[in-house]
Amino acid sequence: MKMVNLILRLIIGGVFIVSAVVKIGNVQVSHAHGIQFSHVPDLTQFAQDVANYHVPPHALNNLVAITLPWIELLAGGLLVLGAWKRASAVVITGLMVVFLAAIGWALAHGYDIRCGCFGTVDARRVGVTALAEDFVLLAMAAWLAWRREDSTVQTTETNE
Amino acid sequence: MARTLQQALVIVVAGAALGLAANALSPRRIPFLTPPKAPPQDRDTVSLEEAKALWGSGTAFFLDARATADYHAGHIAGALSLPIEEFDDHYPQIQPVLTPDSAIIVYCDGQDCDLSHRLMNRLRELGYHNARLLVNGWTTWHTAGLLTHAGNQP
Repeated sequence: MKMVNLILRLIIGGVFIVSAVVKIGNVQVSHAHGIQFSHVPDLTQFAQDVANYHVPPHALNNLVAITLPWIELLAGGLLVLGAWKRASAVVITGLMVVFLAAIGWALAHGYDIRCGCFGTVDARRVGVTALAEDFVLLAMAAWLAWRREDSTVQTTETNE
Repeated sequence: MARTLQQALVIVVAGAALGLAANALSPRRIPFLTPPKAPPQDRDTVSLEEAKALWGSGTAFFLDARATADYHAGHIAGALSLPIEEFDDHYPQIQPVLTPDSAIIVYCDGQDCDLSHRLMNRLRELGYHNARLLVNGWTTWHTAGLLTHAGNQP
């Protein structure tokens, strides 16, 4: 079980770190030029992706775009490092619930919008695939957040 | 449990603070609050009637801003595929037929679809000042019973 938890932590933490870094670094990918980090991070496009969901009040879209990637980075980083494991899993579970609700909202309204899940590197539209991926991540994060403490886990978590 | 929630709160607050600090330090910082949206300008959009007339006269280029797969599934007859998400890959094929004065109508699908807005802005940056968009283009066009094609040919 310890092994399973470790693997789950690395997967979820890894996904969150990558998704945060591509948003913060405004990573662009094109068939012609491959993957590119922009020299100057620019959140304009990600803020637009957030706005397209029409979920946060209009004025708050920028605030979401400014803060969300760093919360993802911190939570994902802590999960990978194994510090504050349960707390970071709780944060990630909460974020996944929000993401799922936003995607569900967009699908219910028939918005044909860019997912924004992995910032601008990911040109995918919002759709059932994104929904399914998020469900899997939610299940994994929720497991880490609410798993019962057993003796093996206790010993590794005494510093929490 | 309370301890965990406290730590979770610290993560959220610290992450938000880092984000605000990083944005404040960035040369391309964005405003803390989103500025109010500019209402769509009349000069940016084209009505279905006008689009139909331009299509009938054959004097306008119709550009489909959606993904290639959507274009293949069905598009306005005569429209060329120029997915904004892969603009740099597709533009070289379209460029030879356009002139800076070409009448261009871009479209995507859905009231809130942003692809055509982005394509229009991109084309205008490149000097095509007659680029306009047909809002909710694909749905509007085919529900009006106008001519459409499927496949990779215009």
